[in-house]
Order: sequence, then structure tokens, then C-alpha cells
Amino acid sequence: MLERSHIQSTGFRNVGPEGARTGFEVRIRQANYRSSRLSLIEGVDIMVDGVLYPAEDNLFRLGDKGYTRDELNEATQTRLYVGDYFTVVVPKEGGLERGVHLVGSAIHYRHPYFPPEFQPAIVRSERHATIILP
Amino acid sequence: MSSFRYGVSLYSYTDDFGTVMTLADAFDHVADTGSTGIEILGETSVPLYPEPPSAWIDDWFAKLERYKLEPTNFACWVDTRIQIDRNMSVEEGAAQIAQDLCLAHKLGFRFIRPKFGVIDHDLTPDPIWEGSVERNLDLANQLDLVILPEIHSPTPIRHPVTDAYVKFIERTGTKNFGLMIDTGIFQDRPIDHWGGGITDEIKKGAMSFLNGINTPVEHLEDVIQYVPFIQAKFHCIDENLHDHQIPWERIVPMLKKLGYTGYLSSEYEGKRDPWVAIEQVRRQHALIRKLEEEYDAANTETANA
Repeated sequence: MLERSHIQSTGFRNVGPEGARTGFEVRIRQANYRSSRLSLIEGVDIMVDGVLYPAEDNLFRLGDKGYTRDELNEATQTRLYVGDYFTVVVPKEGGLERGVHLVGSAIHYRHPYFPPEFQPAIVRSERHATIILP
Repeated sequence: MSSFRYGVSLYSYTDDFGTVMTLADAFDHVADTGSTGIEILGETSVPLYPEPPSAWIDDWFAKLERYKLEPTNFACWVDTRIQIDRNMSVEEGAAQIAQDLCLAHKLGFRFIRPKFGVIDHDLTPDPIWEGSVERNLDLANQLDLVILPEIHSPTPIRHPVTDAYVKFIERTGTKNFGLMIDTGIFQDRPIDHWGGGITDEIKKGAMSFLNGINTPVEHLEDVIQYVPFIQAKFHCIDENLHDHQIPWERIVPMLKKLGYTGYLSSEYEGKRDPWVAIEQVRRQHALIRKLEEEYDAANTETANA
């Protein structure tokens, strides 16, 4: 089972070769009460220590498959289930330093049954999480 | 004297399910309330929806038998604004409902609740609802299922949305379409802890969601003939069995007076700390059973006087 917080401790790590990191990634559990067609997720912003990494630059990964925002919109038949998680891959040359960071996420969900003025609904979360390997 | 039937929607356990609660745990909690019915959310409770593994289906029926529960309502969605730049067609909407009718039937349910996308602040459903449902009336009839859109805050009973559903029933003469009442429409005091995934932006822009629309319980009489199932929405019941938002002391006598004998399926939507929902649901069952018994006792005395 997953941690209660949307952002998970496990899965917060740098990516790319050691010494030449290309970015970092964050694991987030499905924060909606029902499974979401990926086409209903309009992207995920990430914040680390006050720096915003906007959704349009990030890659959404479910299992082994990565999706840009346009590719999410096309994925009408792929679902993010409750009890499952996705990963947001954030490009950042050099990655993040070893240690505890304040990490935030903002998932842009489109709920068709919400009034149009509340689409997308932005679900925010924030917690401390630790990078072990720089 | 005839009685309500008691059930629980697994929506109540949102956020617990998948972090601190399994489906087997949920069955145990529901059964221990004395309920006879279990309501699920297809996309949440059914792994690999819409095509659960056959081993899971076998286990589903084994659990129903073990815990002596019957499947009641299968909640589902018609995601009309399926892509950022495109809405579903009537054909796609109809296919979605057909898929959910078949899966609900396979799992033994009696009702499905499709939640349609909306086009305005009054929650007017996307116009494809009517054609999508009408194309499925024969299938629903064959499968002995009733399709129930919900009447949900901020839409009250006396409203064009409800009127359109009633007109549809009258025009088609169908027995396979009705209304589900969500008791959130009777909320008459503000909510302090919303568990419905509401965001800060929505709190600022839609106070009716938080303050309640206070639909008069007397309006139930207008539509009760079309209501075979009720979602017993609530947000907070304290240790004195006092509900802070939903006026059960008015709702229960009205439903009794109108002869309602369908399900009251708990839908807890309050504080989402781990395991809080388990106790909140139990309090609601204690409260409603108490009010029902009080009504029955008072009316037996009246009848005997």
C-alpha cells in the first residue's frame, strides 16, 4: 500500500548518469477518488524548495510509459487506478542535492461533472522528501 | 411496519482505500454496521476496470456470500469532456453506459448511477445524456437494472434538471430509469471539513457547495415515486449522534411518511484522516436507526390509541 500523502517518500530520486544528472523524479499516488482516464489529467506542476517546475516541461510516467501533455490528452482509454501511482520526471541539469527538500505537487484534473469554471481542478500537496544519491 | 434498507457506499472510505484499507477490510466494516447492501464505485473498487480478472470476480461473489451483503448501486461516470478539445458523442456516451450496465450485471448489481459531465454551474448534464440513456433502456430492461442519475447539491428537487429527468420517464414510460436522491441537497448548515476533493479555488467560488442549499424535505413528495435508491450523504456526526450538517430528524420522518422502503446507502464525505470514515459511518447508522425506531414507535402508539 501507499503512503497517505500524495507525494511518496519512495521514488524521489535523481535521474541520469551519476555525475551528469539530467533531472529528478517524484512519485505521486492517484489523488482522485476514482480512476482517471489519462486524458482527464492536464499535467502536473512540481515545486522544490520554492522553485516551480511547470507541467509543460515535465513528463508524466505510468508504469514504463512516458507521456507529454499532448500524449496524455490522447490517452482516453488508459487509466490511473486508485491505489496506484504515477511518476513525474522533471528535467534539471545536475539534478537535486543530497538531503531533505520541501516538495510540492499540483495535479491538474479535469472533472467533467464539475461546473466548467472549476475545470481543471488543481489538487495540491506538499511534504518533505529526501534525495539520497546526488 | 415496513423499514428502510441499510447500506454503505465504499465512497465513504475514500483515501483509506488503497492506503490503509483493502476491499476485504471494507466488506468487514460495511457488514458490521448491520447493513445488507454494499455500493461500489466501478472505477475505484474494480481492479483493471472495465475488465476485472475472472479470479477477482470469483472472489467478489465469495465475499458477498461470506459477509451476507447484496450489491446495490454501481457508480459510474460518463466523461463527456473526454479530451481538452473534444466532447463525447451520443454514441460514445451510449457505449459507456452499455459497458457499465454489463459489468454491473455481471457483478450482481441492481442500479447504476452514471455521473454525466455538466455544462453549467447548475449542474445541467451534457445534452448527450438523453440519447445515451434512451439507447440503453432495452439493455437495462433485459439485465434488470435501473439507471439512476443523482440529484446532487447544488441542484435541488424543484429544478429544470430534475424536471427533465421526470419528463424523460413520463415520455418513455420506462421502469429502467429513475432518480437517486443525494441527501446533501438537504444540508442546512456549513461544512467545515469537506472530503470531496474540493480545492481552494472552488471554496472561494462556490459557497453553495459549502453552506448547503437547504432543499425542503417536503419536496421529496414531488418525486418519491421515481426514487428507488438514496445516497445518505453526510459530513460529520459527533459523539452525541448529532449530525452537524444534514437534518436527519426531518428527513427520516418524511421518508417514513412517504413509505420509502429502499436503501439508505451511507456516503461519508468529511474529514479524510485515516480510518475516521469507519467510525463516522457507524454513527450515521446508529442515528438513522434510532430515528426510524422513534418514528415507528410514535406511529404504532398513534395507531393503537
